[in-house]
Amino acid sequence: MVEAIALAHGWEMQHDPDVVVIGQDVGANGGVFRATAGLQERFGSERVQDTPLAEATIAGMAVGMATHGLKPVAEIQFMGFLYPALDQIVNHMSRMRNRTRGRLSCPVVVRTPHGGGIHAPEHHSESTETMLCHIPGIRVLCPSSPVRAYGLLLAAIRDPDPVMFLEPVRLYRAMRQEVSDDGRALPLDVCFILREGSDVTIVTWGAMILETLRAVALLEERHISAEVIDVATLSPIDIGTILESVAKTGRLVIVHEAARNVGLGAEIAAQVAEHGLYDLQAPIQRVTGFDTVMPLFKLEHDYIPGVQRIIDAVELTFAD
Amino acid sequence: MKTVAEFSIRYRQIMGPDGSVVGPLPKFAEDVSCIVDMYRAMTLVRVFDTKAVNLQRTGLLGTYPSCLGHEAAHVGIGAAMRPEDVLAPVYREFGTQLWRGVSMTEILAYWGGDERGNDFAVPRQDFAWCVPIATQTLHAAGAAMAFKIRKEPRCALAYIGDGGTSEGAFYEALNLAGSRALPAVFVIVNNGWAISVPVAAQTAAQTLAQKAIAAGIPGVQVDGNDVLAVREVVGDALDAARRGEGPTLVEALTYRLSDHTTADDASRYRSAREVDAAWAIEPLIRIRRFLIDAGVWDAAKEALLLEECAAKVEAAVTGYLAAAKPSTDAMFDHLFAELPEHLHEQRLTARRYGSKHSGH
Amino acid sequence: MSTFRLPDLGEGLAEAEIVEWHVKAGDHVHVDQPMVSVETAKAVVEVPAPFSGIVTALRAAPGDIVPTGAPLIDFDSGTVVGSMPATSEQEFVESVTVGRSRGRSGQPRGGAESRSRALPAARALAKRLGVDLAAIQTAGDSGVVTLDDVLRHANISAPPSPAAPPSAAARAIAAADPADGTVEPLRGVRRAMAQSMSMSRDQVAGSTVCDDADIHHWTVRADYMLRLMRAMICAWRAEPALNAWYDSASHSRILVAHIDLAIAVDTPGGLIVPVLRNIEKKSPGELREDIARQKEAAHRRSTQPEDLRDFTLMLSNFGTLAGRYGIPLVVPPAVAILGAGKVREDAVVVPGAGTGAGAAAATVQAHRRMPLSLSFDHRCITGGEACRFLAAVIADLEKPD
Repeated sequence: MVEAIALAHGWEMQHDPDVVVIGQDVGANGGVFRATAGLQERFGSERVQDTPLAEATIAGMAVGMATHGLKPVAEIQFMGFLYPALDQIVNHMSRMRNRTRGRLSCPVVVRTPHGGGIHAPEHHSESTETMLCHIPGIRVLCPSSPVRAYGLLLAAIRDPDPVMFLEPVRLYRAMRQEVSDDGRALPLDVCFILREGSDVTIVTWGAMILETLRAVALLEERHISAEVIDVATLSPIDIGTILESVAKTGRLVIVHEAARNVGLGAEIAAQVAEHGLYDLQAPIQRVTGFDTVMPLFKLEHDYIPGVQRIIDAVELTFAD
Repeated sequence: MKTVAEFSIRYRQIMGPDGSVVGPLPKFAEDVSCIVDMYRAMTLVRVFDTKAVNLQRTGLLGTYPSCLGHEAAHVGIGAAMRPEDVLAPVYREFGTQLWRGVSMTEILAYWGGDERGNDFAVPRQDFAWCVPIATQTLHAAGAAMAFKIRKEPRCALAYIGDGGTSEGAFYEALNLAGSRALPAVFVIVNNGWAISVPVAAQTAAQTLAQKAIAAGIPGVQVDGNDVLAVREVVGDALDAARRGEGPTLVEALTYRLSDHTTADDASRYRSAREVDAAWAIEPLIRIRRFLIDAGVWDAAKEALLLEECAAKVEAAVTGYLAAAKPSTDAMFDHLFAELPEHLHEQRLTARRYGSKHSGH
Repeated sequence: MSTFRLPDLGEGLAEAEIVEWHVKAGDHVHVDQPMVSVETAKAVVEVPAPFSGIVTALRAAPGDIVPTGAPLIDFDSGTVVGSMPATSEQEFVESVTVGRSRGRSGQPRGGAESRSRALPAARALAKRLGVDLAAIQTAGDSGVVTLDDVLRHANISAPPSPAAPPSAAARAIAAADPADGTVEPLRGVRRAMAQSMSMSRDQVAGSTVCDDADIHHWTVRADYMLRLMRAMICAWRAEPALNAWYDSASHSRILVAHIDLAIAVDTPGGLIVPVLRNIEKKSPGELREDIARQKEAAHRRSTQPEDLRDFTLMLSNFGTLAGRYGIPLVVPPAVAILGAGKVREDAVVVPGAGTGAGAAAATVQAHRRMPLSLSFDHRCITGGEACRFLAAVIADLEKPD
C-alpha cells in the first residue's frame, strides 16, 4: 500500500503544479514509511519540504498554503502525534469555508499512519478516528488496499475540502496488488462491498480487513455466507449501502480496532437502529478494541480484535 | 536608533577532543575518583547500548533508540543532578537514567513492549520516557512549579533534542519557567539530526541556546562530548535554580553516532565522512585519555571494567528475557485508580480471548 | 538501502560461517523471519531479519567466513519504527463493488428473498409462539409486523386497538344498503349497557340456579317488588356473602353491611338501573316511595349519576313482561342478581295429610308460583351460598304475609 500512496502522490504532483508535500522527514528520507519516496528528487525541495519538528506548524502552515492557492498534502508522522495539530484542524481547517461563507477554503489532505500491530514504540499505534469523524467540515478516509489507497488519495487531493487520510500501518506492506498508475480516482462518500453474502453483514475498515476476511473464510466452512463492507469514507458515512445489505441479510456485525466507547461502530449501530430496525433479526454486534489505553506491543495482539472474536460475534447473531 | 537589549551566548569546554585540558578545572574535578565514576558509567551505558541494538537485530527487542555518542552529555547531567531532583527525559538518555537508578532491565522491558519498564523501582518521581516531542518540557515546568509552591528544595530537569526545539511546547515551557522563575533546567542535546532533518533545517537561529533570550532566561552552550564541562555547566544551572534565580537553557553539542533508531538507516541522508569525523571526537576517547594522563587509569583497569560491564549487562538481559508476558489484566489494572464497573466485562472478555504467546 | 552487519551472536564471537541463506535478492521479508543460518564456534545459529523490507543483495555466500560486524545482507528497509508484516508473496485479489450511492450494479442474490420486516418485539414473540412471520397479514400499510398482528394471528385476544381489522359485523353495517335501515350509533344508556355487559362477560364467572316460590297462600295480593325486597333482606341475613363487592385483581371482597339494591327499569330509551339505598333500614312505605321516584326519574331520563352506581345487589323483575326463568348477568363489582319471572298458575303436587298407612293420597292442584333465577359470580360465591340464599328468599316469599 505504501508504494501505491507514493504513486498517487507522483501522479498528482506531475499533473497539478499546486500540489505540495510537507511533513517531517518527507524529503530526502522519503518519509519514515517511504510513502513519499523519490518525490523530492522529482519535484524539488520547495514542493516537497521537510518542516521543522512541530505538528502545529505543519497543520497551521497547511491552512495558510491552502487558502492561498496551493494544495498541501501534509504528513503527520504518526496518529499519536496528531494532537498538537488538532487546534488547526478543528478550529480552522474544518470551518474555513463555513465561516467565510465560501470565500476562503482549505483543500488540504492530512495523511497519517493509523492503528497498531507492528511492534512499534509507545504512542505509535493509535486509532482515534472517532475524534476526527465527530468534526463537521472534514472528511475522514481509511483505505484498506493498495488499489483503494491510490484511488482514494487522488480523490482526497482533488477534493476542495479538508480530508484526513488515515493509513493503516499494518497494511502498508501486507498486500501485493497490481495498481494501475492511471490517475483514476475512486469515489468518496461510498462504501465498498468486498464480498457479497446472504447471511450476515460485516462492516469494517482499515487493517481489520485482514482479520475479517480470515474470519469470513472460516465462516464459509460453517455455511455462513458473510457480506463484507469496507466503509472507506468513515465520515460522511454511506449508511445507504450498509442498510441495503442489512435488509438483505438481517444481521450486522461491526468490527473496528479503535476502542468501543463512542467508536464509529456506535454511530453505525444507531443509524441502522433508526432506519433499518425492522430488518434486523438479531441485535447488532460490535467487535472492537477495549476501552483501555492501547498497550505496548507485548499485549497489542490481545487488544486488537482477533479472528475468533469476529467469528463468535457472528455466531451470536444466530443464537436463539 | 539605540540598542535596548543585547545578548551573548557563551560556550564551555574543559577537555579538548584528545583529552587535553583546555579550560579551568571545576572544583569537583579535584576528587578524581568522581571522574572515574563518571567514566565507568559512560562505559557501562555504551556496552549496554551496543547490546540493546544487538538484541533488536536478533529479534529480541523492539525498535530501540541508540544513545551512541551521547554518553558524556547524559552521564555528566546525571552526575550534576541530586537524587531528589526530578528528570523529564525524552527517550534516549539512558546514561542519565542508569546513573539515577533506572535499571537496564527496566529499559529493556519498555523497549520490549512492556509498560512495567516505566515503573521505575528507584527514581520513583522521575518522569517516564516521553515520545510526543517536547511535551516533557512543560511537565518539568509544572513539577518545578509544584516544588516552588510546596517549598521543596528540588529542581526539575528536562531534556530536549535539537528537533524538539521547533515545537511550540518547548517555547511555552521556557516562557513559563522564565516568567515564574521556576527551579527548572532545560538541556538541549543538539546531536545534529532529527531523524533525517539536520539542525540547519530546523531554525535560522545561530545557536539553539539563544532561544533562551526570547524567554528572558540565561542560555549557555557546552561541548556535549566533554563530561567535565557538562557536569559543571548543568551543575551551576541547577545551583542557580535551587537558589531561586530561575531556569537556565543549556545546549550540549554532540553527535548522533547511531541511526535515529534501529529501524532507521541514516546512510540514506548523511555522509559516511561526516559520521567518521564525529567518531574521531567521540566522548569516551577524551575522558579515557584524561584519566590515563592523570595516572589513574590503564589497560588492565580498562579490561576489567569491560568485563564488569559485560557481566552486568548480561545479567540485565537475562532478567529481561526471563520476564513473563504480562497478562491481559495489565491493560485494565492501571487505567484508573479503581476500574469502573462497566469495564469489568471487557476485562473478562480480554481474559477469555487472551493469547498465550506474545506477538502474533 | 541499508546494510545489515553480522551481529555479535553471543560471548564476543569474532566470526561465523554462512551455512545457508533462507532469502534471496528481491524477496520481501518481514522482521524475525529466518534469514540465514550461520555456524559459530559453538553452534548453528539462526539470524532473523532485523526489519521488514526488500532484500537487495546478499553480501556473503554459503561457506564464507564472515567476521562479526562485517556486511551480511543489503535491504531496502523503509521503516523507521516497528516491524511490519511481510508483503505476501500472493497477489491480494479482490472483486469489489462500489456502494449504493454510485449505483451498484447487480441484484441481491436470489436466495435472499425479501424477508419479513417486523418490530423486534414482534419477531421475538412470533418465535416464542412458533408463528411464521411470513404468514402473518399485517394490519397497517407499512408492511411491518406488529405485536398485535402476531397476537391476532395466534388467536390471543388483545385489547381492542385502533389498528384492529373490521369485524364481520362492522363490515355488514358498513356495507348496508339505506333500504336495510339507517345506522344508529349507540349512545347514552344503550352504549352504557353495551359496555357494562361486555365487562360482565369479560370478567364474571357466571352461574345460575333456578327455583320457584309457591305464593298460593298469600293472604293479600301483595306488591311483588316489596315482597321480593323483603325476601332478599331475609336471605342476606341468612347468607350475607351475596351482598358483596369482589375485586379480582387483589383477590379480595367486602361483605357490605347494608344493601344498596339496583333495580332494573325498562324504559323506551333503554335499560336504566337505579339504586335504592339501605333498603334493610327502610319501611315498606319508604321503599314504595323510593321505587316510584326512581321509576319516574328513569322514564324522564333524569336519574342522577350517583343513583346509578355503588349497588351491592341487583333485582330484575322481568316477570312483569314475560319469561319464566332467565340467566341474569352479574355486573361487577356486585356478585349476585336475582331475577323474578312471570307469576303463573302451575300444576303442583300437594302431598296428602298424614303419614304411614293412613295417609291421604297426593293431589295435583293449581297454585300461583313465582319463578326465580339467582345468578352469582362463582369466583367468590359458592353454590352452597347461592342455594342457601335462594332457599331463604323462597322461604320468605312463601309466607302468607
